[in-house]
Amino acid sequence: MKNGRCEEYDDEDVLAWVLGDVDEAEEQGLTAHLASCSSCLERAAEYRALEHSADACRTGPVIRWRGFKTPFGTVRIAASRDGLIDLSWQMPSDDEFIARLERRHSETPVVCDCDELEPAEEQLCEYFDRERRSFDLPIDLSALTPFQQEVLDATARLGFGEVATYAEIAERVGRPAASRAVGNALGQNPVAIIVPCHRVVRTDGTLGGYTGGLRYKKVLLDIEGRRDLLPTAEQPPLF
Amino acid sequence: MTITTDGRVPVEDWSAEYGAELERHVTRMLGNVEEARDVVQELWITALRTEPDSGEGSNIRAWLYRVATRRALDVLSARKRHAGLLDARSGELEPDRPPAPDSVFGALSSEAVEGIRGAVRSLPCKQRDAVWLRWIEAKDYETIAERLGCSPESARANVYQGMKKLRIQLAHVWREEVAV
Repeated sequence: MKNGRCEEYDDEDVLAWVLGDVDEAEEQGLTAHLASCSSCLERAAEYRALEHSADACRTGPVIRWRGFKTPFGTVRIAASRDGLIDLSWQMPSDDEFIARLERRHSETPVVCDCDELEPAEEQLCEYFDRERRSFDLPIDLSALTPFQQEVLDATARLGFGEVATYAEIAERVGRPAASRAVGNALGQNPVAIIVPCHRVVRTDGTLGGYTGGLRYKKVLLDIEGRRDLLPTAEQPPLF
Repeated sequence: MTITTDGRVPVEDWSAEYGAELERHVTRMLGNVEEARDVVQELWITALRTEPDSGEGSNIRAWLYRVATRRALDVLSARKRHAGLLDARSGELEPDRPPAPDSVFGALSSEAVEGIRGAVRSLPCKQRDAVWLRWIEAKDYETIAERLGCSPESARANVYQGMKKLRIQLAHVWREEVAV
């Protein structure tokens, strides 16, 4: 012991012991050492106390995210414990996607996903490969307004290749005069593709807008066998 | 003392076999015989409930030391936190009755829980990911390295850097809570 610091073991050794990153001999060595070294003992007690607070994180809210390659480029998805909250292919980098999640959910830790979002990745890739027609994934829309939620719920009921107009969705949520507001709500759909806002078009037969880029709306409708909705002779610009 | 056919000391005899030396070990850690005795008593209950696998065989003694040491560390950190509470409330609580560790950690206030999450949130991305996967989810370093796109050594370094920051920040969180 020198200046209150242990010369035999350092902070990292103690942490390794607490995390269980040591072999049996090291474990026994430090266990015995703790009974005679107050500096290591104190450090170990602090790390041990941290272990208890891990439970607060284990059960509390968290946002997981992952990114993967698709024909749309890198698609990044994020989910709360209740379901998907974000799907995006427009963000230029992981960092910017994470920064946006942190801005929108400032109270919740954002952490990379390990395996929970694997089904979502698989299902989306199958959809892009034209091997899947519907998604079986929980969605969490609780951060949205009640109106947005109603509009997205009504939109989520549209099946593969089925389209509705903005006016029809407005009618289905009991606000027949609100087709513009419906358009706005769909424009802010945080989980495009999964909630198929690409299946909502204008009454005059044109496609209307798409926040992810109109050409992607065309590709999605093409995937779903609705080339008839695209302007004559127009081929989808992607795959 | 009876010995089972495989040469192991049966659970009910561990106390007689190892009780005295464990009590000395824990007393050295806690500086208090009474508390050490409590810790060792609890250890027998734990041992009866969750007997270590027979695979550990002759290493029962090592297992007992490990569990006793972790338990003693809990008492120490609870004592430390209790001392903080006493300072802040100028001795309102009875100093001779430190709360049991379980109740101390089980009763973290919502502010403290928020503080813990805040501390995790404030870590740089890579450290936060690494700490979460290792500390909260007990993933191995190969898995973490794969997720983070780095080497296992680098994954481990990120866990350690993050944990050190959390330790320092959480001391702060507890002081804050105490000051309320």
